[in-house]
Amino acid sequence: MTQFIDVDVRPILRAGGEPFSIIMAALARLEPGEGLRLYAPFKPVPLFDVMASKGFAHREAELEGGEWEIRFLPDDGSSDAAEPAPAVASGGDWPEPVVHLDNRDLDPPEPMVRILAAMERLAPGQPLFALLSREPVFLFLELTKRGHQWRGGFTPQNDTYQLTVRVCA
Amino acid sequence: MIGTSLCKWAISYFAVAIVWLLLAEVLVVAGFCFPNHDIGGPDTLVIVHMVSIGWLSTVLCGALFQFVPVLAARPLYAERWTLPALALLTLGLTILLAGFLTLGGHFNGSPRLLPVGASLLIAGFALVVANLGMTLWSARPLPGPARFVAAGLGCICVTAAFGGMFSLVLSGTAIGAQWPDLLVSGVPIHAIAGLGGWLTFTAMGVSYRLLAMFMLAPDSDARLGRLAWLAGIAALAVGAVGGVLALWRATGVKLALLLAGAAALLSLIAYGRDMLGLYRARKRRALELNTRMSLVALASLVAVAILGAVFLATGSLQSHVGALAFLVAFGWLTGLVLANLYKIVPFLTWLETYGPVMGRVPTPRVQDLVDERRALKWFMLFFAGSWAATLMLLVDEAPGFRVAVAVVTLATLGLGEELIRARRLADVSEPLRLPTGAVVPHLLVSRN
Repeated sequence: MTQFIDVDVRPILRAGGEPFSIIMAALARLEPGEGLRLYAPFKPVPLFDVMASKGFAHREAELEGGEWEIRFLPDDGSSDAAEPAPAVASGGDWPEPVVHLDNRDLDPPEPMVRILAAMERLAPGQPLFALLSREPVFLFLELTKRGHQWRGGFTPQNDTYQLTVRVCA
Repeated sequence: MIGTSLCKWAISYFAVAIVWLLLAEVLVVAGFCFPNHDIGGPDTLVIVHMVSIGWLSTVLCGALFQFVPVLAARPLYAERWTLPALALLTLGLTILLAGFLTLGGHFNGSPRLLPVGASLLIAGFALVVANLGMTLWSARPLPGPARFVAAGLGCICVTAAFGGMFSLVLSGTAIGAQWPDLLVSGVPIHAIAGLGGWLTFTAMGVSYRLLAMFMLAPDSDARLGRLAWLAGIAALAVGAVGGVLALWRATGVKLALLLAGAAALLSLIAYGRDMLGLYRARKRRALELNTRMSLVALASLVAVAILGAVFLATGSLQSHVGALAFLVAFGWLTGLVLANLYKIVPFLTWLETYGPVMGRVPTPRVQDLVDERRALKWFMLFFAGSWAATLMLLVDEAPGFRVAVAVVTLATLGLGEELIRARRLADVSEPLRLPTGAVVPHLLVSRN
């Protein structure tokens, strides 16, 4: 019987946050053989690719009100009920960030300027990790224009925004 | 999470709004109206609507189009509705003012001008409310500051509905004749919903996020704004119920309004406490001019609350209502808006000009787009003039009032020029001003 660690990302998404970093943090805490049980307000299809690339198959179940319970199981060949993982479209697992920035005490928009300047010095595919005091909504616009990918979300204490940006490969 | 883009027409809203403000100020200086004489007279109505719709509502709409997507973390529902809304609001207000001028005997127009102008205004506000409302709707459940905005949007609907009915009464139509008492008892609701609900409540909500952002203060405290929100909503609800009771000539109306006033005072106290808390928790020790001036505007709001309570206790509220309304409109709302425009316009200009080249070439800081020392002088003139004008109204001194408003007008012109200079990048020193790939923005429209 697989043991599950529960992660409920519904409050984070309702508050407008990105739960990705929290899911990844929970994943890092899993013991061998343990699974992750995720509660989400919608079916988190993009996450399936990411989790598949990390060796997790999933089983999904719709709850009341359009919410979903997803069980991620270590895909060691023993799990028979999981759907076959779809082909990894993009993203997959990102390498370790090569630049770490702590921009929490900078005056806006200095965090944005620093991140964009640091991104210019990275090679394609290299990620950057930054800590911010706020969600950088105006930065996302520039990242999109430049074709960079990003993942981010508030820490559970809700006082620091963790952002990982990767130069388009 | 999605990013937020620049609202193309926000700058146009700001420009139109400042023109209305200047027009209203010039008319007052020229002796067009004195709020202590006949507060409900057609001339006063001209100035009141120029300031409340032309200036404050227009500037607030432009700011909300830019800011609600940030609050809600969703893109604006329909960017393409923003320009038609501006056109409807401007045209509607112009026709409404022509209607008031007709009413005052300055102008020989049709009595239909008032309902026509009101209808266009209602259509314009409907576009604004639908656009912002749909944006907020997609972001449910709403974060605290966005709830204030949602309540403000509800209040502008109430204000506009009453305004529309007044226009039917004032223009002497057959429908309007069915409600002969509407003006007497409906005006307080119209004013409370407009000045209190739409303008003040929305400004409070927005300032929770803006002040926290500019002072680098943590705004993640779940209790932040809760009491201000609950008491404010109670005040608006009780005020509306009291107003409706007044329409039905029921007893106990005074009690309802008194309760609403007490709840409003509690809301303002809670808001002031929250702002003080943000100020104390700030990480940025030296505050920029916009934040310092927002706090000065807040002092005007505190003065309004204290003076209002004193006048209410001494029974002299009725004779000082013009002075209080002036202090709310200028010392608090106009001061707060000008202080924030002084940050928002340079920031949007900076983002538009240097965003595309940022990180690739050296760019100036947002602070390099402004000259705070020069602007401080204008802000000091503005607040000194506003407070002097309020004082002159309190002592019923019309010539002194006009001189004070002339000072306010001069300060408005000065601040308007500062905003134009920011748009033109006029204060950015040369090597950084226009790096390769950057272009000077248009004065009135953003490229997005």
